[in-house]
Amino acid sequence: MTETAASHAGTAGEAAEARAYGLTEADLRDWASFSPIEIYWARKHDVTPAAARRWAREGLRVCDTVRAIALGMNPGEPRLWADAGFAPSDAVEAKEMGVPFETAVAWRAAGFIVPDAALLIQDGWTLEEAMDARYAGIADEDR
Amino acid sequence: MGELLRRYWHPVAGAAEFSAQAVKAVRILGEDLALYRDKSGNYGLVDQHCPHRRADMTYGFVEEQGLRCNYHGWLFDHTGRCLHQPFEETRHPAGRFKDKVRIKAYQVQEKAGLVWVYMGPRPAPLLPDWDRYHSRGYKQIAISQIPCNWLQCQENSIDPVHFEWLHDNWSRVLRGAEGPRAPAHQRLGFDEFDYGFVYRRIREDTTERDELWTTGRVCLWPNCLYTGHFEWRVPVDDEHTLSVGWFIDELPGNAPFEQDVIPCWYAPVTDDRRGRWIDSHVMNQDFIAWVGQGVIADRTKEHLGESDRGVILIRKRLLEDMTAVAGGGDPKGTIRDPGANHCVHLPIIGGLNRPAAKDGPRPFPFLAGQPEEITKEFEQAWRDCAAAAAERPATGD
Repeated sequence: MTETAASHAGTAGEAAEARAYGLTEADLRDWASFSPIEIYWARKHDVTPAAARRWAREGLRVCDTVRAIALGMNPGEPRLWADAGFAPSDAVEAKEMGVPFETAVAWRAAGFIVPDAALLIQDGWTLEEAMDARYAGIADEDR
Repeated sequence: MGELLRRYWHPVAGAAEFSAQAVKAVRILGEDLALYRDKSGNYGLVDQHCPHRRADMTYGFVEEQGLRCNYHGWLFDHTGRCLHQPFEETRHPAGRFKDKVRIKAYQVQEKAGLVWVYMGPRPAPLLPDWDRYHSRGYKQIAISQIPCNWLQCQENSIDPVHFEWLHDNWSRVLRGAEGPRAPAHQRLGFDEFDYGFVYRRIREDTTERDELWTTGRVCLWPNCLYTGHFEWRVPVDDEHTLSVGWFIDELPGNAPFEQDVIPCWYAPVTDDRRGRWIDSHVMNQDFIAWVGQGVIADRTKEHLGESDRGVILIRKRLLEDMTAVAGGGDPKGTIRDPGANHCVHLPIIGGLNRPAAKDGPRPFPFLAGQPEEITKEFEQAWRDCAAAAAERPATGD
C-alpha cells in the first residue's frame, strides 16, 4: 500500500476492500463510519461526506441517499415517515414510486410493507385485489 | 425478462467436460442447442437442429473447424456459416448453395474453467473478469439441474435471514442436535454497486464491526450469488434452472499453484433411496426451498415482510432493467470497456487472500455427491502445498 488504508479499516479483509476501491487513509478518515463500497458509491454519485452524514442521521444508507438526492428530497422527509413507524428508506421508495403517504398507511395496515405495496400498485393492483389474492382459499372470517 | 437475460454471458458447462466429449446438448433460455469444441479449440453454440433436414447436431462430429451433421455431412463453423455440403458441391461445384445456408449460432467463450454463452444482440458486452478467478487455490465447478424457475433461486441470493433458518437451525434439527438455536438476525442492510447489491446483516453474535456488516455479501447481477465462491442460477427455460457453482479452497503456503484443468462435476439433487431431495449440504438445502416454492412461484400468494426487502429490491431493479433494455439501453452490470475488465473487484469478507484451513483439507460443504477423485485431488493438493510451506515458510503481506 502506498498511503495505507489499513488503520481506519478494521480487519485485513476491510483493509483489502478499501484498497480495492482505491481509498487512502485520508479517504477513510474523511468518510469514517462508512464502508468502502458506500464511499465508492457516494463518490460515484457526487455525494459529499457531509451530505452522506446528514442523510445517515435520518437513517438512510448511501444508496438510498443517492436516490433521495436525485428525487430532490430534503432530509426532513424520511423523518416524517420514520415518525409514523416506517423505515426511513420507505420515504424514498414511496417518492420514487409515486405512492402517497396515506396510501402507504392503508396498505401497511393490511400487512404490506411499502416497497411491496409500491410494486403492486405500479403493476395495477388495488389493495382489495391484492388482499383477495393473498388470502385466496381462506374464509373471510378467518382473514 | 428473457430479453433482459440475453444481455449477459451465462456459464453453461465446464471446459473440462469437453475433454471427454466434443459435443453436448444444452437447453438455455428456452432454446435447444448444441455446444461443442472443435479440433482447433474453438467453441461453438449452434441450433440443435441442422438447417438441412433438421437432424440432431448433438450427434454430429467436430472437425478442425466446426461441427459436421452426421445425417448428410453438412459442416458449420462457430459463426453459423455453412462450410461444406458434400453432395451439393459434387453436383453443383459452382452453385455455392452453402453460401445461402446458415445455422443459428451464438458466441461462446471459456473463462475460469467455465464455458460461457451470450445469446443477445451484438455487440456482446465483455465477459467479466472477476478478481476472484485469479486467487490461488484449488478450484472446482459443480452443476445441478433444478426443476424450477431461475428467479426464485436468485431471490435467495439477497435473503440473509434464510441462512439462519434453512441452513443453521434446520441443519441442527437434521443432526438431532439439542441446545440453543442459531444466533438470530437483528438488522439487515442493502447497498447498491456497479455489479449488483451487497447485503449486510447483524446477528445476535455480531456487531457493526463484524465484516458481515462492514463488507457484506454480494448478490451479483443479474443471476448469481458471490460469497467468495460463485453460484449462478442460469435459466434453462421458465421451469428449469442450471445451478452452476464455482468454488475455491485456499491452500497452505504461497508457492505457485495452478491446475491444468478445473474439474467439473454434476451434483445429484435427489436421494433416490428415500424419494426425497438431498438435504445434507448447504446448496441442497437451498434447492429444497426453491423447488418447494413451486415450479414458478406464485408471488400473488406471498406475504412479504421486513426480511424480504432485498427480494423486493431486486424485483424492482429487474423491472427497471427490463424497461431500460426495451428502450435500447444497457442493463445493470454490463462491462464494455476492456480497460475496466481486468480483475474486477467484488466485495469479499476476509479478502481475496484468505488463509487455508489450519486443520487440514475440509470436506466440501456446499453440495452432496462430490466425486471421490476430486476429493482426493484436493486433499493431495492441500498436502503438497502444506509440505512445500513447511520446507519454505510463507513470506508475504
